[in-house]
Amino acid sequence: MSAISAMLYREAKIRATNVIFVFWDFFYPLCYLLVFGVGVSAALGTPASIPGVDYNSFFLAGVLGMASFGIASNSSWSFFMDRDNGIFYEMLTYPMSRTDYLLGKVAFNLLIALAQGMITLALGAWLLRIPLRFDLFPILFAAIVVGTSGWFFFYTIFALRIRRNDVFNSVTSALYFVFLLASSMFYPLDPLPKVFRIVGMANPITWQVDLMRYGTIGFGDPHTLLLEAAAFTAFTLICFAIAVRSLNEE
Amino acid sequence: MTAFALEVENLSKVYGDRGGILGRRKEPQRALDGLSFRVARGTIFGLLGPNGAGKTTTLKILTTLRRPSSGSAKIEGFDVVSQSLEVRKRISLVLQETAVELFLSVRDNLLTYARFHGVDSREAAKRADEVMTLFELRPESERKVQDLSGGFKRRVQVAKAFLIQTPVLFLDEFSTGMDPILKRSVMDALRKEAARGRTIVLTTQILNEAEELCEDILILNKGREIARGNLNTLKLLSQTAYEIVMTFETLPQGIQEEIAKLNPLHVSIEGNTVEFGLKTGEIQALDAAATLARKGRVLRVEIGGASLEDVFVELTQKTPPAV
Repeated sequence: MSAISAMLYREAKIRATNVIFVFWDFFYPLCYLLVFGVGVSAALGTPASIPGVDYNSFFLAGVLGMASFGIASNSSWSFFMDRDNGIFYEMLTYPMSRTDYLLGKVAFNLLIALAQGMITLALGAWLLRIPLRFDLFPILFAAIVVGTSGWFFFYTIFALRIRRNDVFNSVTSALYFVFLLASSMFYPLDPLPKVFRIVGMANPITWQVDLMRYGTIGFGDPHTLLLEAAAFTAFTLICFAIAVRSLNEE
Repeated sequence: MTAFALEVENLSKVYGDRGGILGRRKEPQRALDGLSFRVARGTIFGLLGPNGAGKTTTLKILTTLRRPSSGSAKIEGFDVVSQSLEVRKRISLVLQETAVELFLSVRDNLLTYARFHGVDSREAAKRADEVMTLFELRPESERKVQDLSGGFKRRVQVAKAFLIQTPVLFLDEFSTGMDPILKRSVMDALRKEAARGRTIVLTTQILNEAEELCEDILILNKGREIARGNLNTLKLLSQTAYEIVMTFETLPQGIQEEIAKLNPLHVSIEGNTVEFGLKTGEIQALDAAATLARKGRVLRVEIGGASLEDVFVELTQKTPPAV
């Protein structure tokens, strides 16, 4: 436990020295909610396939998912910073297991993701009058925790196996584009052409965002959500196992 | 409990680089080839060798950064592969490359390191002050490390190893970027650490350092041991055990014949100065100089043992190629 808390302390200290990270982690998704979301909502109104739910309410879960995905992506980039500073290999000789190393790093991400989620929810309720379902918040917070962990471990695999910063940046940019657009983050999947719908349904971001949508406004089919929760948990565990293995092979 | 801090048995390492996520495997390279040695507790142990000899690979295996291809290694009785966490609890490492938290201050670098090693915050603050004094880092304590010169970054890195009391300390080319005065005080500090029972393993290519510090030296080449022992033992391995230089007022008649009787390894005469090497004991070398001094008036005599550098160059140049 002390190794995990030491790692959490270290990550917090470093992240606090870089205000640009704070912007990306906290405010970039909020800009989407308050600018993009409000604009689309005003232009298009309520999506036809989800009657009774306005676009701001629909998009809130998408913003939370985007934040979770973005925080994980930013944090995985820190492996490159650590390599550049030379500290990466020194840290691997510290008295902690590779599992503790990754859990310590993800613990800090979770704090950031939860804090970002609270701000987003508060602004959504206050400025956009989104009718939040407080009774479903445990599901929402579970989706933030498991989701952020899953994406962090997923990106960690790439960060550890790709040695070049520029290649990693290209890969993460491509993944960002594919994962976010081919999902239920910005729009409902039902009206999409079949191929897009299938790709979207197979996308772990969709699973996470659907759970978050249920956790924020209670929208979603319980049977589908149960399957998505199980699939995302499995995705997280598999990514964690591969990330630990990659770290052991360093 | 074993008396040895390090026990290495038939250690081999073959690298087969994976070359990135989609990269092709390269030709396997044998970095270590059946290396075995033991190091007693409280020793300053030097691992020497030319570039590519296998020093850093050995260090990486001993510090759990790499797995051996075969053989075993134990630190304080714990296996580096199957008990790697126990090993990591007992070691600290100063890498050859600079390894610091660039975005943190000098003090925060030290405190973060101490926290990872389970030192409580009050004790860590006290020790941080002590090592900052030793490494003359106090005026820079609140500056971010990214704003410091390369030499100061190195100080921060080495200072961390003195902050905690692990039984074994590994130093890979520790003096890189250090000025001579600081290097002296760090060497003194290392001697004190060893006197307190800490085992210090250092790799270096600066042989003066090894000569001054190490009580036990292993010379590696092409992944194999080529010599092992203390400084005196290693010097005896050199062909040139003593180098004698004598300058006469005028070169005595028959001096070349006198020197030839001593079976010298080499002789050179330049003006009134003769220089020759003898593979012999200390007394015999002194006797030889005294015998020659009776032949004429001597203006200058120098008798020097082979340096570690002589031994190193001689041994590493005659190692057979690795199979």
